[in-house]
Amino acid sequence: MNEVIVSMTDICKSFPGVKALDHVNFELRSGEVMALIGENGAGKSTLMKILSGVYTKYSGTVKINGDVCEDLNPKKAQQLGVAIIHQELNMCKHLSVAENIYLGRELRGKFCIDNRTMEAEAQKILDELGINIKPWESVGNLPVSKQQMVEIAKALSINAKIMIMDEPTSALTSKEIDELFRIIRKLKKEGHGIVYISHRLEEFQHIVDRVTIMRDGQYIMSGDFKELTMDKMISYMVGREIKEKFPRVQCEKGKKIFEVRNLNAGKMVRDINFSVYEGEIVGFAGLMGAGRTETTRAIFGVDPKESGEIYVDGKEVKINCPRDAIRNGVVLAPEDRKKDGLCTKLSIRHNMALPNLDLIGKHGIVNSAKEEKLCEKIVKNFQIKTPNVEIDSGNLSGGNQQKVVVGKWLARNSRVVIFDEPTRGIDVGAKVEIYNLMNQLKKQGIAVMFVSSEMPEVMGLADRIIVMCDGRITGELTAAEATQDSILKMATAFKNKNISDSEGE
Amino acid sequence: MNRKEQTALKKFLSIRGMGAALTAFAGLIIIYIVFGIINPSVFSGQNIINLLRSMSKYLLVGVAQSYVMITGNVDLSIGSVVAVSAMISATLMTKGMTPVLACLIALVCCLALGVISGVLVGKFKLPPFIATLGTMFVGRGISYMVNGNRNTDALATGIGKEAADRFSNIFYYGKTFGVYNTFWLALIVFLIFFFIMSKTFTGRHIYAVGSNVDAARLSGVDVVKTTIKVYVVSSVCCWIVGLILCAQAGMGNMEAGNMYEMYGVASGVIGGVSPLGGAGILLGTFAGAGLWQTLENGLNMIGAQVGMQRIVIGVIVVGAVLLSELRAHKK
Repeated sequence: MNEVIVSMTDICKSFPGVKALDHVNFELRSGEVMALIGENGAGKSTLMKILSGVYTKYSGTVKINGDVCEDLNPKKAQQLGVAIIHQELNMCKHLSVAENIYLGRELRGKFCIDNRTMEAEAQKILDELGINIKPWESVGNLPVSKQQMVEIAKALSINAKIMIMDEPTSALTSKEIDELFRIIRKLKKEGHGIVYISHRLEEFQHIVDRVTIMRDGQYIMSGDFKELTMDKMISYMVGREIKEKFPRVQCEKGKKIFEVRNLNAGKMVRDINFSVYEGEIVGFAGLMGAGRTETTRAIFGVDPKESGEIYVDGKEVKINCPRDAIRNGVVLAPEDRKKDGLCTKLSIRHNMALPNLDLIGKHGIVNSAKEEKLCEKIVKNFQIKTPNVEIDSGNLSGGNQQKVVVGKWLARNSRVVIFDEPTRGIDVGAKVEIYNLMNQLKKQGIAVMFVSSEMPEVMGLADRIIVMCDGRITGELTAAEATQDSILKMATAFKNKNISDSEGE
Repeated sequence: MNRKEQTALKKFLSIRGMGAALTAFAGLIIIYIVFGIINPSVFSGQNIINLLRSMSKYLLVGVAQSYVMITGNVDLSIGSVVAVSAMISATLMTKGMTPVLACLIALVCCLALGVISGVLVGKFKLPPFIATLGTMFVGRGISYMVNGNRNTDALATGIGKEAADRFSNIFYYGKTFGVYNTFWLALIVFLIFFFIMSKTFTGRHIYAVGSNVDAARLSGVDVVKTTIKVYVVSSVCCWIVGLILCAQAGMGNMEAGNMYEMYGVASGVIGGVSPLGGAGILLGTFAGAGLWQTLENGLNMIGAQVGMQRIVIGVIVVGAVLLSELRAHKK
């Protein structure tokens, strides 16, 4: 007990153009829960992917159980007892619990798979954990919390001593969290080391022993949880200066253009109320999974709404599908370019024309001359680097793809432009061009709102910042008031899930 | 060639899908010349117009299937809808109904089947393979039941010899400008749908849905409506093919159009239409149908048997897709 089972020192890892990890140290002891915290993009996942053998090209040393591990791979890491309980559970929904637990290492009987032994073994592990699941149930029929338990059982069945849990409570109810914590405490007692990645700092008091804090790919500190306060942890997480320069344009704040009232859509969009005025950019801040993307999708009519009213220029508009939104002057440049933004198999011309067919044609027939002019204008305005507009949009670089996605919307006289993560995965130069463009829209009196997980970007660009957490708006700040601390505090203001304090074991 | 012409040519060649279409055209010409050298009667005027007529049906089912394939779906009911068209129009004519009215009633039935397929796939999100398998069986069943499980009598028994001959001439045996009417008819239909696909909003929507449904929806495309439209286009093409077969035989045949859905796939795929959606142009389908019929015609002329013809066409279909796969991987 309490011996060092994982020690990672001086870990560096680069992706093309980004230094993801910069001399990071990490240590895990048996019988403890180590919380690993940091903002989006701090490098937590990257670090854990190195530990579990997913990323192989790095510098630094990884020691597991005291032995230096070189050329780790997922299989080897598993043999050494490392298991990840993923945020998005990786399971074959159509297979049974036992089959999932033994996936890839099925036990063989004389002639075929030995189901009976597998189910008996699985039952034993489940009993040990005190979980009420039958091994023959199919995993798809279980609630998420139980599926998570199956993952934990699977980790135990391969005799994992090092368990990495990535946001394990994000999809659970308070009762289920209780159950999870009970199991974590049990595992702890049996000498397992648990890496606990979570944004929900207020849950830590129930289980966490030590904390490691990362920021921008760097190791900041680690220490006993008891000696840290919530405020201290937050200030360690954000304590950076904003280095990038953001072009800011001052505009007179005019009349209200866009208003959303009492919007509800699923678990991640609860009771959303906000408005956007002429001459301002509103930024949506929050942690991953706070419901910001879901909110934009509900507004734009991609996902169905349960309730809520939307007003453009004071008039209520009904938006049931993206078509309605576009017709009413609301457009969205979505988060996932490849999935939602572009028809990658089609030419740039086709992509640009698609939402603007009504502008470049009449009676359902496309006017080629007008189409060409439209494309030319977008290419020129956005400085899209391409030999011509006939090439596949999928062949463009990320930044240029983003310009096509954004550009196709700006040919219309929209009233409200929503950007979801407009600068994700594009280079610095292209970023500035996108910022300039947003400012230009603001000057034209168009309501601009954008979602971004990069805090400097939100603070540098937005005139007003709305912070979301867990599907609700938890605060609103003007650019002048906003500090990184205050935003992060609002972004982690999870509703108290009433966790019972039953850890008196 | 001056500079302006050069850039125009470059642009023409850079149109997506043009490469595959031109490859198919080149293949068509090569095959034609090779068979012509072996048997010079391939070059005869009569053979050329026969060839054009025989490719017409395949061109039409090719257009039908290409429309559906470009949205990333498939229509297995094409052959059955052809039979529905042939049997309903023939049965009504043998009962003495005027040909125009009989054909229009057949059209309504074909459209109904097309709309049903479209709604099942577009609105209820059934896998197109299953949905159109259903309409395939239903369509074939209807064509059996229309005339009480038998083929119809000759059309002349109902509408008289003169009217029956006129009907047959319009759709099959007659010529205009020295070429069989069948070809002109197919060409006009092809040009209309070619125009729709390349120049209209609907065409753009079809490509967008086939390339990326989510992005299309987020760009304001009505995916359900677009999906229904392609199945309707398919059923219109099938209707015409049914009338052609009816005119050719001078009667209605319950087994008409058997396997035509697969002939449609072959025509499209040879010309570079991707069954995965979003890629390919109808010009390619034209070349594909042409290449196939040139091949069949040539093999016929040198005395190869039907079995051999089928084997060759199988190899060509797979070869065409393999070629484009290899080309894509090279990138």
